[in-house]
Amino acid sequence: MSLAQCLMAGKVSSLTSYFSLAYMLGFLPASCILYSLMPKAAKKYFLLAASLIFFWLISGKLVAYLLFAVLIIHYAGIWLERIAKERDEATALAEKTERKALKKAYKNRQRFVVAFAAVLLFGMLLTLKYSAFFTVNINTLLSLFHIDLQFEIPKYLMPIGISFYTMQAMSYVFDVYRGTVKADTNIFRLALYMSFFPQIVEGPICRYNETAEKLWNVESIKYKNLCFGLQRLLFGLMKKMVVADRLNSIVQTVFSYHDSFSGGYAAVAAVCYTVQLYMDFSGTMDAVIGTAEIFGVTMPENFKRPFFSRTISEFWKRWHITLGAWLKDYIFYPVSMSKPMKNLTSSARKKLGNHFGPLLAGSAALFCVWLFNGLWHGSAWNYIFFGMYHFVLILTGNIIEPLVRAVNTKLHINPESKPYKAMQILRTCVLVCIGEMFFRATGLRAGLSMFKKIFTDFTFYVKDTDIFTRYSFDVHDVIIVAAVLIIILGVSIANEKGICVRQKLAQSKPVVRWAVLYGLIMMIIIFGAYGIGYVPVDPIYANF
Amino acid sequence: MEKLIEILEDIHPDVDYETCNDLIDGHILDSLSIISLVAELEDEFDITIPAVDIIPANFNSAAAMWKMIERLSEE
Repeated sequence: MSLAQCLMAGKVSSLTSYFSLAYMLGFLPASCILYSLMPKAAKKYFLLAASLIFFWLISGKLVAYLLFAVLIIHYAGIWLERIAKERDEATALAEKTERKALKKAYKNRQRFVVAFAAVLLFGMLLTLKYSAFFTVNINTLLSLFHIDLQFEIPKYLMPIGISFYTMQAMSYVFDVYRGTVKADTNIFRLALYMSFFPQIVEGPICRYNETAEKLWNVESIKYKNLCFGLQRLLFGLMKKMVVADRLNSIVQTVFSYHDSFSGGYAAVAAVCYTVQLYMDFSGTMDAVIGTAEIFGVTMPENFKRPFFSRTISEFWKRWHITLGAWLKDYIFYPVSMSKPMKNLTSSARKKLGNHFGPLLAGSAALFCVWLFNGLWHGSAWNYIFFGMYHFVLILTGNIIEPLVRAVNTKLHINPESKPYKAMQILRTCVLVCIGEMFFRATGLRAGLSMFKKIFTDFTFYVKDTDIFTRYSFDVHDVIIVAAVLIIILGVSIANEKGICVRQKLAQSKPVVRWAVLYGLIMMIIIFGAYGIGYVPVDPIYANF
Repeated sequence: MEKLIEILEDIHPDVDYETCNDLIDGHILDSLSIISLVAELEDEFDITIPAVDIIPANFNSAAAMWKMIERLSEE
């Protein structure tokens, strides 16, 4: 298919990666130049048009789903606010005794609107993303019970970023319902909030009050924003192209032919995949946040040096932060604070005490969070297992917390000492790598087989040595990856200590600043994994 | 206010609730403590704490909690 045909059909797949040449040297610079040429009042409309064109270029006619989602939340928001206004008018005239009943009646009407919007939005997501998975499992169940009935497995094309923008759409509806944001009567502003092109493929999952106004009030590109934005973008590019894409060949080979590799390789692949995923996703987030910065928009951070976490619970507060915050605000607290759960907490606390009392309600909410989290990543059993794995780890951490504290006191162990902290960090990293191994495995059975081999066959041999000819990972790759990881580790340690490396760089002499910038560019050009011998790697999270 | 301090001390003792103003930000009260606390406050003060009010600003200090309780009691 020629480029012109691709453009017309909306199938420019290379654009889905913010690191592709089509995006880096084509779409992004063209957008920035045209944006700068636009009069101030037209800039926001240009950003909206560029975002919708971008989405159409990567998803074609599937852009209709995004536009439908915008329409749903626009009218749901207005409907919710109208009910809230009627409620306020009615309660202002009512006696105090009647107010509670009135509020409850209006709340039920609002809940109906939220449910209606949720059914439509999640309905779209469930149909497009999960219907095949559910049908396959229903067919398997029917076969198991020898019922002579099989459903045809549906095949739908799924718009890129649907898992991300659906979460954003629902957060807006929930926030209007809760009264934390006012319903937006301007559908164009809402559409820009939903579709802003740097974030549509992989998030971050923004809240309306975080970005909508900033996007709508964009100004001319400022020199400082351009420099800071490009710097962040290049840093992301280095993470993705030099580390993540370089690790891809070893990860791809071991996970695809896991039967041929012994346990030692399985363990190495699990670590390599964890590093690849982090570099890929956090690198993309650097590119997204950097691009938004060029336009003067501050996006929420999605990572906060997760591999310095002391517990799994802390890890999830530092990894994919916007997803974790969404799940906490819209699933964890609403479930744990629901009437039956509150009653359960009150009675359990009297019988089981302060620690174990709230644990029952907390665990039920946590289970919902992790089931949702697993399924959100993909429609396969290994993703559900991944969610349940983290649920069990966090729950176990909560259960044994008093015991650990007691043991530490008894043995005079200081939990704030450096060796203890290092042990906790190492333990968290190992647990995360195991989880990611199941996450990346070609299926749950493959994941379990690799996991078993780590304990039963921790050696380094390959059954079929022909496999080595299929990938191109040698000692040079190890040196390059290790060198860049040391740089990233250094930056992370400085940030962890509260030193803002970017600010320090901005205050340094121009010669240092430009040296760093050129250094980054040269590193990407010389050591980036592209060209002959490398298969272009799509951003991993774009597939979720 | 005394009743509130009593509830807080029951849920998480050994904290000076008169002066501490980073109960959430300082990781003194975790999500499980908040679940307990909300259930207790609702029972004790006959209020409903909506999900929208479960934010650090409302739980960082006893004073902030008391302010929230007073506001919700009036509604």
